[in-house]
Amino acid sequence: MHIDVYGSSLCALVTAGSLASTGHRVTLRLPEGDITRQLQRGESPFREPGLEALLNEQRSSRRLQLGRMVDAPSDGVSSVFLALDLDDIELAHDIVGRLASLDRRFWLVVNQSAFPVGTTDRLQQTLGDVGTVVSLPELLQEGVAVQQFMRPPQLLLGCDDPYAESLVREILRPVSRLRDQFLVMSPKQAEFAKFAVMGMLATRVSFMNDMASLADALDVDIEPVRQAVGADPRIGPAYLYPGCGFGGPSLSRNVMDLANVLAASGVGSQLLDHVLRINERQKEVLFRKLWRHYHTRLEGKVVAIWGASFKPNTGRIDNAPVLRMLEALWAQGAIVRLHDPLALPSLQARYGQRPDLLLCTDPYEAAAGADALMLVTEWKEYWNPDFPRLRADMRVPVLLDGRNIYDPEFVRRSGFAYYGVGR
Amino acid sequence: MTWETLRAHATRLRQQHLSELFAQDAQRFEQLHRHVGPLLFDFSKQRLDGEALQLLARLADERDLGGWIERLFAGEEVNGTERRAAMHWALRAPADGSIPEPREGLYAEVEEQLQKMRELINKLHSGQWRGVTGEVVTDVVNIGVGGSDLGPLMVCRALEECDVTTALNVHFVSSMDGSQLAYLLRELRPHTTLFVISSKSFTTVDTLYNANTARSWLREALGREQSVVDCHFLGISADVQRMTDWGIHEDHQLRLWDWVGGRFSVWSAIGFPVALSIGMPAFRDFLAGGHFMDTHFRTAPWLENVPVLMALTGVWNTNMLGINAHAILPYDARLKYLPSYLEQLEMESNGKSVTRDGEPVEGSTSPVIWGEVGPNAQHAFYQLLHQGTQVVTCDFIVSAMRYHEATPVTTTLEGQHELALANCLAQSRLLAFGEAALPQGEQMPFYKRYKGNQPSSTLMLDELTPFALGVLLAAYEHKVFTQAVMWQINPFDQWGVELGKKIALETLSLIHQQPDANDLSAQLLADRNRSLRDSMDASTTGLIDFIQQQRRGF
Repeated sequence: MHIDVYGSSLCALVTAGSLASTGHRVTLRLPEGDITRQLQRGESPFREPGLEALLNEQRSSRRLQLGRMVDAPSDGVSSVFLALDLDDIELAHDIVGRLASLDRRFWLVVNQSAFPVGTTDRLQQTLGDVGTVVSLPELLQEGVAVQQFMRPPQLLLGCDDPYAESLVREILRPVSRLRDQFLVMSPKQAEFAKFAVMGMLATRVSFMNDMASLADALDVDIEPVRQAVGADPRIGPAYLYPGCGFGGPSLSRNVMDLANVLAASGVGSQLLDHVLRINERQKEVLFRKLWRHYHTRLEGKVVAIWGASFKPNTGRIDNAPVLRMLEALWAQGAIVRLHDPLALPSLQARYGQRPDLLLCTDPYEAAAGADALMLVTEWKEYWNPDFPRLRADMRVPVLLDGRNIYDPEFVRRSGFAYYGVGR
Repeated sequence: MTWETLRAHATRLRQQHLSELFAQDAQRFEQLHRHVGPLLFDFSKQRLDGEALQLLARLADERDLGGWIERLFAGEEVNGTERRAAMHWALRAPADGSIPEPREGLYAEVEEQLQKMRELINKLHSGQWRGVTGEVVTDVVNIGVGGSDLGPLMVCRALEECDVTTALNVHFVSSMDGSQLAYLLRELRPHTTLFVISSKSFTTVDTLYNANTARSWLREALGREQSVVDCHFLGISADVQRMTDWGIHEDHQLRLWDWVGGRFSVWSAIGFPVALSIGMPAFRDFLAGGHFMDTHFRTAPWLENVPVLMALTGVWNTNMLGINAHAILPYDARLKYLPSYLEQLEMESNGKSVTRDGEPVEGSTSPVIWGEVGPNAQHAFYQLLHQGTQVVTCDFIVSAMRYHEATPVTTTLEGQHELALANCLAQSRLLAFGEAALPQGEQMPFYKRYKGNQPSSTLMLDELTPFALGVLLAAYEHKVFTQAVMWQINPFDQWGVELGKKIALETLSLIHQQPDANDLSAQLLADRNRSLRDSMDASTTGLIDFIQQQRRGF
């Protein structure tokens, strides 16, 4: 089939690459800018394992082409995927509106974007009676997105139209072979289901963070507790890691949107409000430990931070815990030396030049002369640092482990004051 | 001389009902209202006329009102008994020198405190004021009493619709018995609570007892390190040393000066909770409103001068018509605490019976002042106003406009505002005219009759903004000052509230429970208390005995 994918999100790239790899003829329609230029150079804008190779392979086989977002699909295309960013609802309506003005027997529009509940139905109104808009909410996990697309645990399909449903099943037939992976419901239900999944995940994380605070107060190590909880088959091990808060464009935004939707509808969700509040509090957990370590006097202290992106293998800092941490440290007059393998440009763009922020290209350079080192994002390269070197370079050997990746005993034996989350 | 002429004139005027005064003069409202800035002052429903006003103005001159205003604004020691200036006006004077600085550097000191206030408020607004555990402060509790409570509380409530932040909760605690505090402490988390200890002298017992309870509560939860007090207390006082001794960290001290009277102090750092609620720019608007009224008071001729006219009508009512009760009736529930505020401002200032020279005053000074949100009071003491035997003067206070923000209920809220306005106008009319306000010829049974002739003024604001409220409050302050000049008393001291504090301390030593002890010091204490007890009256000792019996349970 000939398919156009609109968007430059991770989901758009994975969808376009994967569909092409199963034989479809795909045009990925992108906005002008860096991402397009990177793709044209054969680079992936996302550090997503397997993605760059996938895209390059498909482009050289000519099943995948790059196009411009402002252009309408060419003549042979009657199926369109929308994988836009959260805020691009207007853009979605523009694209769908343009489709309506083109002459086709039937338009299939597959909306993967994480728009608020009800958007797919409104896009249908924009399209009119020349086709059907269905909802196929993306549930991709960054880091394993390509594998997941090809072997999805389930596919939520929001679709009221049997003909459109048959078209979607045909397009995705290669990834839904083992069993029927489709859960079919109305578009609104599918959109809502995705929010509920995100809400549940966020709730698990915040629950674990709450337990970690309790563990701190009781002087218990949370790590064995986490393993015990995860070992229970009724619960399972995923999303149970305590830490300094979840962030990212997707999870926290979706949960916030969900909380807002519930609040606006008059229902409200005390639970999700608390989940978010716990998370916001949790983003400052390392700050609070440092504050106490230095008896509330942080003025002039030099704090090294390792990792700023909201998770490893991405350069994105949307809603990332590091943002709260920086504001808190600066408000107390501390100076920050920060290393991150990918996020330095985003930080530079956000904060510009300021005397209390030094962006370092080497982790040890960041730690030099510091009164404390905070690990905020668990990039692989931080997992086994040269502790004697760190200890020699730092002014005071204080290590705050925001992701519980170190062994507290080993770190302490290496001469550091160690603080984890719940340990 | 003028005093006597005024009395004679009052005797003549007393024969005339307010409805007759209005019937005689179609221009009465035109002549007897003034409009300055956002404030319209209508005193046409007062039982006076043009001649009375001329005489009152002459009396003002005889009492050297002009000279006193000059002395007030020159920073002279107008507070003779305490040998202090009264320069609350300097707290709101722009530094550009439209009022000359009484001494160099005064405005700079005021500005410095405003800047410090701004920094502290920014820290709270940005969620970067940390408790000792590093958590963000979410609740601010103002502990103060008198001017350190009523001023900020009244203004905060009045300007609630201007609030800039919803993330911070501001609470007020004043009562010495701890009941407000005990309630709050059940609701709040120590980790996220900041206490503002607001006391000009930093010796006020009521405030320090509450502050000590707050400190114990924090220490119980967070430990005894000095950093607990450092992080969770802010002090506002004229006595830096006492703040420091109590344990307030230097960075968390705001100061005022002994030339600011407590009941005039909401314009100073004591107004911190106000600035915290409405933001510093709006607080500056409030100050600008006060300054606007200062300028008007300093420069307008007596009969164009709103505070002076408020004062003169008051003198007329008190001294010439013999009316000794005055009600403050805001038709706007945001001004709920204005009556208490003005009770303090007027009665603590002018509840005096000795002149500046130590002579007994000639006639009455401040009337008894009380009040309530008007529409609520309509269901309470208005019965007495309309049909009782007391003559009472009233100030009706209301704003012409309200509710601009579009909300789902704006229309019905606007309707409620119109209803309040209509009630305000109707009540002052009925008080003035009585049943003459009704269509001619309606006969009423005796129990439904309204005699009318109760004088009132209406103070109408265009809108209740920070600026307008500043104008209104400064007008009352200058009214009080002007009346004090007319009565030749000092409005800036309050010796009448001192002695009670002292003998309460003695009494406390008799009520305070002593642990049983047999040593010598306990013996001495018991002896002292016995002789203290012998010096007291039978009523007091009887009541103390009852308290002790209740505690012992027999």
